[in-house]
Parts: sequence; C-alpha cells; structure tokens
Amino acid sequence: MILEIKDLKKSFPKKKGEMVAIADFDLDVDEGEFVCILGPSGCGKTTILRIIAGLETQTRGRILLNGKEISGPGSDRGMVFQEFALFPWRTVRRNVEFGLELKGVPAEERRTRTEKFIDLVGLNGFEDYHPYQLSGGMKQRVGIARALANEPAILLMDEPFGALDAQTRNLMQKELLRIWSETKKTVIFITHSVDEALYLADRIVVMTARPSSIGQVYEIKWPRPRDRASPEFAALRKQILAQLESMVMVEE
Amino acid sequence: MTEDDIDRLDKTMELLNKPLVKNSIVTTISLGMFILTWWAVSILANLVYIPTPWEALDALVRSFVEVDPNLGITMWQNIYASLRRFVMGFVLALALAIPLGLAMGYSKTFELLAKPVVEVFRPIPPIAWVPLFILVFAYFWGPIMVIFVGVLFPLLSNIYFGVKSVDPILMDAARTQGASRLQIFTKVVFPYTIPFLMTGIRIGMGIGWMCIVAAEMIGVQGGGLGYYILTQALTLGLYDRMFAGLIVVAVLGLLTTGIMQYLENVTNRRMGIR
Repeated sequence: MILEIKDLKKSFPKKKGEMVAIADFDLDVDEGEFVCILGPSGCGKTTILRIIAGLETQTRGRILLNGKEISGPGSDRGMVFQEFALFPWRTVRRNVEFGLELKGVPAEERRTRTEKFIDLVGLNGFEDYHPYQLSGGMKQRVGIARALANEPAILLMDEPFGALDAQTRNLMQKELLRIWSETKKTVIFITHSVDEALYLADRIVVMTARPSSIGQVYEIKWPRPRDRASPEFAALRKQILAQLESMVMVEE
Repeated sequence: MTEDDIDRLDKTMELLNKPLVKNSIVTTISLGMFILTWWAVSILANLVYIPTPWEALDALVRSFVEVDPNLGITMWQNIYASLRRFVMGFVLALALAIPLGLAMGYSKTFELLAKPVVEVFRPIPPIAWVPLFILVFAYFWGPIMVIFVGVLFPLLSNIYFGVKSVDPILMDAARTQGASRLQIFTKVVFPYTIPFLMTGIRIGMGIGWMCIVAAEMIGVQGGGLGYYILTQALTLGLYDRMFAGLIVVAVLGLLTTGIMQYLENVTNRRMGIR
C-alpha cells in the first residue's frame, strides 16, 4: 500500500454552521496502481487531489504516503494540472528541470537527469521552445515530464486532458498509458469523463454528490489497450453514466 | 494606354499596397501636412513668437554647432545636463520602487503598512514638489528629486500590480515541486513581475521626461532643455531657438519611448509572452 486516506473530511465555514464538501472518504491505493476518481462537476474531486498534494488542508482525517503522514506540499508527490501551469518564461527543458533546480542539483546533472523524461514524453527536439510555442497536448507532455523529473512516489493528475480537443485527448490517454507502463508509477487521475476512466484505470472510484464520499468502486481488469467500441466497455459506460445522472438529479 | 503601361501601373499599385510602403507614405503625408500648417500659421498670424519651420530648423542646426552666445554652451551640453538628471532620478526611483513594490505585493503586512502612505502621495502632481525640493535639495538635487517622485509611482504601481497578478496555479505548481516560500518568490513571483516592471519603466520614462523639462524651467543650475526653452523665450526673446528646444525635446521623447517599446517587446518575448 503506497497511499492510505483515512476518514477524510473537508468542510468550509458558513454563516450558520458549515458546508461539508467531502465526508467519510477512505481510500487505499496500491503501488503501481492506476486509480481514476470520477464524479460529477462540483463534487470536490479536485479538492481531494489538492489535499493529497498538500495544497489544501483537510478538516479531519489522515493521509499516509508510504506509511508517513503528509503535511503540506512536497516533491514526493508530482502534480499535473488541467491548466498545465507551466512557467511561461522557462523553456521546455528549464520547466522540466525546475524541481531539481530547487533541490540545488548542479546544471550538468540536471540536464542528464531531465533528458530521459523529455525523451519519455516524446519532446526531444523541443527542449528550447517556450510554452507559448507548443500545442495543448505538447504543453501537457511538459507538465507530465516536469512532475516525473522529481521522481515522486505518486503522480497526481487533475483532469490533465480536460483542456484538450477530443482527438488530442485520446492520443494523450494512449501516451499516458505508455509512460505509466514504462515508469510503473502509481497514478491518481481525476476526471469527469466516464470514457476516459474506463480507458485508463485499474480501478474507478465514483464519487457521490455533495457531501462527497465514495459511491461505488469498479475494478477494471480488461487488458490494455482497451477497445472503446467493445460491448463490455459500452455496457459499463452506460451503467456508470446512469449512476452519475441519478446523482445530478438528487443534487438539483 | 498600351499593355506595357497597364502592367507598369499594376506593379506600382502592388508596391503601394504593401503595408510598410503604405504606412510610410501615410506618415510622410501626415508630417508634411503638419509642417505646411505650421508654415501657414506662422505667416498668416504674423506673430513674432511663431517662426516658420525653416527658421526653427536653422536655429536648431546652429544650436548644435555653435556655442549659444547668451548661455555659453551648445545644445549638446543642454541635452547632457537634462539626460543626466533624468537618469539619476530614474535610477533612484528604480532602487526604491523595485524592493518596495515587490514587498507590498508579496507581504500582506507590508501592504497594509505602506499602501496608505503611497495612496496619499500618489495623487500629488510631481511638479507640485518643485518649490519644496528646490528649497530642501537645492538646485542640483531638486530637479532630480522631481524626476524621482514622478517616476516612482508608475513604477511602484506596475510592480505591485505584477506581483498581485501572479497566477496562483503557478505558485501551486512550484509548491508541488517542493519550493520554499523564498524560492516561490525568487523563481516564480519575481520573473512573473519583470514584464510589468518593463511597462512601468516605459510609462515612467514618459512622465519623467515631462517632469524634467518642467522642473528645469523653475529652478536649475548648469543648463538643461527646460532651462534653455524658458530662457530663450522669456529672457532673450529668441523664439526660433525656443522652437529648436521644443523640437529637441520632442525627438528625445520619441527616441526614449521607441527604445523602451523595443526593449519591452524583447523582454516579453524572452519571458514567454508573445
């Protein structure tokens, strides 16, 4: 077990009482596992990821990474953002080097250590480009390389392909699976796309509407690459979609 | 018209429609019309204060090659005197505005501490300080201090605004990469602010240039363009030379703004802003 989330709760104070965003959230993630957290928009799935990253603090509960309780952000968790969050003044290489630079790794060593991640995400030849010169898909490749270059224990991905067009999105999903199988990283992936979750995940955690907790968990044992047109894919997609829809109705 | 003529006409039209050619033609027409209007006004009004463009140009050329019999210096020395004040005031303003603006933007406590004072001083026109500064700092430092206050506020507001507008997601990204608060400042906030600083410098240059000429009209020692214009006009009544001074101020103002615009573009490209 690499990550344990125990009895997580997040609430925000209101004029009267509190607004409970997340409650009774428990999750254990195995080493090398690809977990998708799926839920309707506004269900607090991004908040959960930001708490794991240490960017926000929980109201109650504990999160253990390799048995050690986390407090605050740290380079042992790599994060990939929907908005890419690249530093616009840094070239591709210097974006990827950022974490190593913070640690004071000498320039020579930084270069050799980041080279392989730039290769891994398929960006060789683009090392000296600035983010504005790249397409959305390429920007997110930089985002992934930057997160991996720190050699984190776990990769946290917050709807990383949400800002991409459908075609690029499918390609990036395929690429991510390749990168995942090459690096054997543990991945927690937030999405609101059932299709994306079914294509990627070992396990899909469907969230309930607010206050969010775990609704249903699906173990997906199909071999990869998966065929989005297969009958079992379609059947499960339909089932999960129906479940999500019923929650939206309850919320409204 | 023969076919050859039509062909030639087509080629001419094509050339005229190129943006660069088109723009320079329009600019030339605009400047030409301005000079013609000036000429007409100077003749029609027949005022001694308004020389013809030709007289002004003649005075301009002479001011550079001859020592002014009344001031004892050439135009070069006046330009040098003004530019030196300008640069000194500007550097002083930068030295205060950069740390102050960054601190105000990054630290809430510092913002609460400094902002009310800044807001009180900001609306005061820089020229309003001239008498006080001449009294306190005397004729050498007085005009320099006028530039200083004139330039300080546009610099300060731009830097402060730059720090305030740092995209929070970039700070989040830095934190997940393991950045300390100091590292977030040096590696995210500061570089993010550089284009804003450049904008502040460009705006400050325009304001500073106006301040120095005005300040030199009121109190100055050792020449300067404002002093030159004022003396030629009100003390000596040499209006063609007054116009020569105006032309120099205009051209130098254009040059500084143009150079800054170029530097700003280069910086923006380097900082990843297209």
